[in-house]
Amino acid sequence: MQVDFNAPYKNRVQQALNDPNLRVAVSKATDRMTDARLASMDAVEGQKLRSQVRQMKQHVLRNWPDYLQQLESNLTRNGCTVHWAEETEDAQNIVRDIALQNSAKLVVKSKSMATEEIHLNHALEEVGLRVVETDLGEYIIQLADEPPSHIVAPVIHKRLEEIAEVFQDKLDMPPTREPTKMTSLARARLRQEFFAAGMGISGCNFAIAETGAICIVTNEGNGRMVSSMPRVYVVVMGIEKLVPTVEDAFLQLQALCRSATGQNLTVYCSMTSGPRQEGDVDGPEQVHVVLLDNGRSRMLARGYGEALLCIRCGACLNACPVYQEIGGHAYGSTYNGPIGAVITPALAPEISRFKELPHATSLCGACREACPVKIDLPRLLLDLRSDLVQENASPKTEAWGIKSYASLMSSRRMYESLGKMASIGSNLYAGMSGGNIKFMPPPLNGWTAYRDFAPFAPKSFRQWWKERSKLRGQT
Amino acid sequence: MHKATFEQRPNRVALFVTCMVDMLYPGVGIATCELLEKNNVEVVFPEEQTCCGQPAFNAGYRNEARKLARRFLSIFGPLVENGEVDAIVAPSGSCATMTSHFFEVLFEESREEELRRQAERLASVTFELTEFLVDVLGLANTGARLQGKAAYHPCCHLYRELGVDDQPRKLLDGVEGLEVVDLPHADDCCGFGGLFSIKNSGISAAMGRAKARSAQQCGADAIALCDVSCMTHINGILSREGISCRAHHIAEILNNHLGNSLRPPSQPEPQQPDHPRRWGD
Amino acid sequence: MSARDTILSRLRETLRQPHLPFPPAHSDPLTHAERMTVTHAEGDPWTLAERFAQELTAVKGSCELLETETEARLSIISRLQLWVEEEQAARKTAEAERAGDYDVLSWPLEQLGIESLPLILKEIGFKLIEPTDLHDPQQRERIRPIRAGITTVEAAFASTGSFVVGGRGANARAASLTPFRHLVVIPFSKLYATGEEWLAQMRHAGRLDDYLRQSRNLSIITGPSKSADIEGNLTMGVHGPKVVHAILFDDLQQ
Ligand code: SF4
Repeated sequence: MQVDFNAPYKNRVQQALNDPNLRVAVSKATDRMTDARLASMDAVEGQKLRSQVRQMKQHVLRNWPDYLQQLESNLTRNGCTVHWAEETEDAQNIVRDIALQNSAKLVVKSKSMATEEIHLNHALEEVGLRVVETDLGEYIIQLADEPPSHIVAPVIHKRLEEIAEVFQDKLDMPPTREPTKMTSLARARLRQEFFAAGMGISGCNFAIAETGAICIVTNEGNGRMVSSMPRVYVVVMGIEKLVPTVEDAFLQLQALCRSATGQNLTVYCSMTSGPRQEGDVDGPEQVHVVLLDNGRSRMLARGYGEALLCIRCGACLNACPVYQEIGGHAYGSTYNGPIGAVITPALAPEISRFKELPHATSLCGACREACPVKIDLPRLLLDLRSDLVQENASPKTEAWGIKSYASLMSSRRMYESLGKMASIGSNLYAGMSGGNIKFMPPPLNGWTAYRDFAPFAPKSFRQWWKERSKLRGQT
Repeated sequence: MHKATFEQRPNRVALFVTCMVDMLYPGVGIATCELLEKNNVEVVFPEEQTCCGQPAFNAGYRNEARKLARRFLSIFGPLVENGEVDAIVAPSGSCATMTSHFFEVLFEESREEELRRQAERLASVTFELTEFLVDVLGLANTGARLQGKAAYHPCCHLYRELGVDDQPRKLLDGVEGLEVVDLPHADDCCGFGGLFSIKNSGISAAMGRAKARSAQQCGADAIALCDVSCMTHINGILSREGISCRAHHIAEILNNHLGNSLRPPSQPEPQQPDHPRRWGD
Repeated sequence: MSARDTILSRLRETLRQPHLPFPPAHSDPLTHAERMTVTHAEGDPWTLAERFAQELTAVKGSCELLETETEARLSIISRLQLWVEEEQAARKTAEAERAGDYDVLSWPLEQLGIESLPLILKEIGFKLIEPTDLHDPQQRERIRPIRAGITTVEAAFASTGSFVVGGRGANARAASLTPFRHLVVIPFSKLYATGEEWLAQMRHAGRLDDYLRQSRNLSIITGPSKSADIEGNLTMGVHGPKVVHAILFDDLQQ
């Protein structure tokens, strides 16, 4: 069964939990990526690498506007056109205008979360453009009309058979289970698109402020294609994706590759510094860079600046036991997994628009352990929960429950009598259902729907302590 | 986090028993108390203590959490500051994390510098039980004996926030007769997560079932762990799924509370545990 | 106010706040002295070349190490011939030979300094295609079916088996990208222990900034194109070359 990402949160989660294929596909892939990450980080001084990338990115954020201006002036000097977009619609309009001005009809795209974030494909299709995703995984989900479910592995939720079906249905491919055959077909189809496209769009893994270079990282080579073949090349980049120097870029590149897929280096890291010049054989004639805020400055102001260190490697998704159970679509947002649960609400105009996400985590900390920039994701999730409470976005019953609990616990007398009552009550109740409690009233039925609960102890620790002290003649 | 080093072996500690152990699992508290006393550490139990406020903090209710944190500091603070006790010991990685990590967060946020510093001072002498036994008392063996197969599950707060992992494993290895096996995917969260287990009960239970499958896979009779909250969740799942393996708090294993063997005796021999036992069904 | 100014001033204002949780007020940059070299390699050029070969092979590329320019020339020729044979054998049809079989998308090979290489290739029937403008539809069509590309490099890194190709002037980006097979010729003089070492030398010589600026495009390539998107199955040659073969030769002896 498919996860319907327009359904309410609870339903999406339930749909995901009900899909046995999903768990198999997702946990197999995430385990594989996690093993690869650990091995490749262990092969080098992984901890030092993480600390250094964090230090570098932290410095960028502290001097953020300066680096942005440096990047802007260098890009301009190199012949690129720089655009600034405050919100989704602004970015959509900018890219749409570039396409219309150049009479582009066909756009080829390299996988990019920033463009997913602004729903760019949809915005371009509305004005009659044809947009083709060229990353193999993105291509498959575009054919299946689904959004990506993982930052670096967009089709992680589908098994081989399901992908084969998509190829059969949408591309009239004769039935096959051979990944090489599917790949060859995709290569042939997409090759036509690359040669025919009037415009290429990509995101940006990082931009080097000191030289004004845009770096994109791919294993398939589609990133090089979209940035080399069409006449017009448009980059949509989040304004936080900056590094100061070339050496910093190389450092981050290695942290990114090792954390994302466990590779020493990606197959292609392509750096574009500007448009084609007189005498160049190929390369785009125009390079446009759209600097996208879309909530990033809001996120900083709200106190979630640490999440802006993120280099979008996906390691936290792979490490997350919740993500393994439900996959990406259940989150219902462009970014999912632990980092998605943080930045989706933190970027949004109102945090409470995504009030379920900060609670969609057991706060186990596996994500922080995996993160190449050591973002304290559990802490940020806790902060978001607190913000939700401040905004009165939490359920009334919950607020009442926690407040009563806090006042009960503030008095030893009330605490002790509560303990006694609970002991008597729960033992009576448990006695009726034969030892363990199997049903409880709401909201505690959330517990007993899946688990048993044992009754309170007949005699508390403090009673034992008191009796023992008496026996020993102490007070 | 900075931990105090002791010039002399501490001989008196305050027991922060935690509300769950107090009311639901007194056996764990008794075991903790006896383990410390056996090793010549006097235990003080401040009877004013209730809950550290973790549920409120976890759910985002920081004002309520601060209220309970202040209360905790007012009970335990003077004991430490007046030198009445050398350390605070808790049989829970999660509650120890609350008092030794998150209290500081709370008072930093409210800019109550004095309280933040007090929390920091207390944090440096707050220990989870196994951490105290191994790192401070230098213990490797508690003299426990138990027949059967056990696997260790590292609870997330203990493992990732406090960085305590070798200590409980070492103590388990020292239990005579106990075969310790590796739990597959041991460091995956069991899915408890406090409020998460109710708010997202479906996901929480799915994670719990994954843990239960791991337990079955390694053939353990028992899962040893250091937090009764995770234990409640795991046992609730195991019981509901009809799996005979049970999770036990490590203190009960280390203090011989579970009888001679983890396996049901072939002939039912009357076994009377000294202390209230739970999940014995 | 323009979007630019709004964004920049918003950031400046936020960063001025005294109690901003993040980033910390003192966030030092990573200096050149402290920045780590992630992977390591050392030794004489031959040791480095062997390491390069080992790393490239690990990512499913292939490699030959040769002692002289003459041997390199021979190897280049026989490799291209072998590829033509392989292509023809793979067709399994009556008309195994096709018109474009001997076309090779190429950079001007003079830059390799291998004497008379282009000449000999031409003599034995290869056509070295060196496009001048790939936005010209005719030239674009011309390169489309070409199955082999040959280029040299800006630099190569032993510790990861990577090489850098630039895209400016007559060096077409397409030569290392659109063909099915890529033959990359690397003289030892372009081989560095690590990427960091290459950057350090360029930085030291004061060339890094200009060099990058003038390179409209630089790609660091590590092995053939691949994907694991279909349920973790590794497939090669998704968009870029499926075959990457490196010929390293010792040009430091002379
Ligand atoms: S939060 Fe960390 S682990 Fe997660 S995607 Fe970002 S950089 Fe990677």
